[in-house]
Amino acid sequence: MPLQEKLAGRLSGKVAVITGAASGIGRATALLFSGEGASIVMVDVNADAGKRVEDEITQSGGQAFFEAIDVTSTADCRRLVERAIREFGCIDILFNNAGIIRRATVLDLPEAEWDRVMDVNVKSIYLLSREVIPHMQKAGGGTIINTASGWGLTGGAKAAVYCASKGAVVLLTKAMAIDHGPQNIRVNCICPGDTDTGMLRDEAQQLGEDSSHFLAESAKRPLGRVGTPEEIAQAALYLASDTSSFVTGAALVVDGGGLAGSI
Amino acid sequence: MRGTKGRLFAEARVRGLKAKRILITGGASGIGAATAARFLEEGAAVCVLDRDSSARKKIAGELPSLAGVLDADVSNLKQVQAAFAEAIRLMGGVDVLVNNAGISLRHKFLDITPAEWDKVIAVNLTGVFYVAQTAARHMMERGSGVILQTASTNGIMGYPFYADYNATKAGVIELTKSMALELAPKVRVCAVAPGYVLTPMQRAEYTDEMLAEVNRKIPLRRHAQPEEIAALFAFLASDDAQNMTGHVYTCDGGETAGGLASR
Repeated sequence: MPLQEKLAGRLSGKVAVITGAASGIGRATALLFSGEGASIVMVDVNADAGKRVEDEITQSGGQAFFEAIDVTSTADCRRLVERAIREFGCIDILFNNAGIIRRATVLDLPEAEWDRVMDVNVKSIYLLSREVIPHMQKAGGGTIINTASGWGLTGGAKAAVYCASKGAVVLLTKAMAIDHGPQNIRVNCICPGDTDTGMLRDEAQQLGEDSSHFLAESAKRPLGRVGTPEEIAQAALYLASDTSSFVTGAALVVDGGGLAGSI
Repeated sequence: MRGTKGRLFAEARVRGLKAKRILITGGASGIGAATAARFLEEGAAVCVLDRDSSARKKIAGELPSLAGVLDADVSNLKQVQAAFAEAIRLMGGVDVLVNNAGISLRHKFLDITPAEWDKVIAVNLTGVFYVAQTAARHMMERGSGVILQTASTNGIMGYPFYADYNATKAGVIELTKSMALELAPKVRVCAVAPGYVLTPMQRAEYTDEMLAEVNRKIPLRRHAQPEEIAALFAFLASDDAQNMTGHVYTCDGGETAGGLASR
């Protein structure tokens, strides 16, 4: 990217930590934020795919590093934030995006799976925010974005723990917004509807459904299509930038009208 | 590259508003005027509509690049239709409607007179409907468009002394969702819910103590600048929000997240 364009970026000089950055929404956001001038700290359990995103960014002249850490580990989160501060000096943006889904009723869900989904989708936000917020406080502010879901606002079939986890993300977001607003730290979440990512195909597989049929069913919403990872990344950019300087505690729904009502 | 502390991000801009044609009702003062200025900065053509002649004169002087400054009372269908036709004549069409005109009266529920009730409903609900339907017919015929409507956090939660106003803003939110379902996928329809906004008129009504008292209840500890609400309108109208329809988007400093503002 030419230098001039980079200087005009909407996140010029900012440092962003993005979890679940190896694929889907996280990857699209890492690429978008980098293109807008931010330095990117990327996290994912998938090391190979994460490294590829890192290469993609650095080869186009961006600043980024990738770490294959487990966001449910206190020690890993601490180590990551220490490295981010060491290399980039501060953290302006934290995008808690890592998430997994299990399509099952409570009767079909093993206890270990319940714990795993709650740990990755909810506890990781607590663990990483706990490490990052003190640095934001010192710097005079920051913005935290959590990936919730339309299923954090309403129920869905065979998605008991996923709905529980995403509902928790929505209210964790609001509670954190109240606690840290006075320190100029804005905390918001995005509630994507079905989005064209690996997770959507994973769901089809878990339910034993044909992937193309599942995707076609997912498109049955007012705008007539599923979302793209890039569209969710644009919502994250809105929440990361000063365009949203008075927005905190919000659940930003990006779902093609899926939850607007019955069609 | 280091992140920078405490300063506003680089000029935040959105995609795809250049040469778009915007009509803003209640556009001569407050949030509407700030929104007109923002869309002009984005390179759009802008007509404002307002029934307040002194405000119209003022904005025509302040924003000489406006495509038009139109006189209409939104609660009068004939005036709305005439002004809309004039906006089309001046700009060649309307791509984005910011349906923003509204009034409020501070009074106790027990004291609201039938005439006051009718007046608030006529402007805030019937007027919004007249403008929305006129614009939607034009946009559906052309095959695309975006309609953004000014709701309020008063349409989401209860507030004393504004029962009639609050009821109209809740009405705007439901109107928005239903319009979004019927007009999709051609036309996107979203509502914006500002919280406390510090317009010059509002500031004049506050003593310093009153302002501090209200700010204390808001997690970000301040009112919004009108420009911050304008930024949300710009984002929702832009190509960055192409998968967003049928929802209400808050810009309230965390006021409706719960806690301080709601207890």
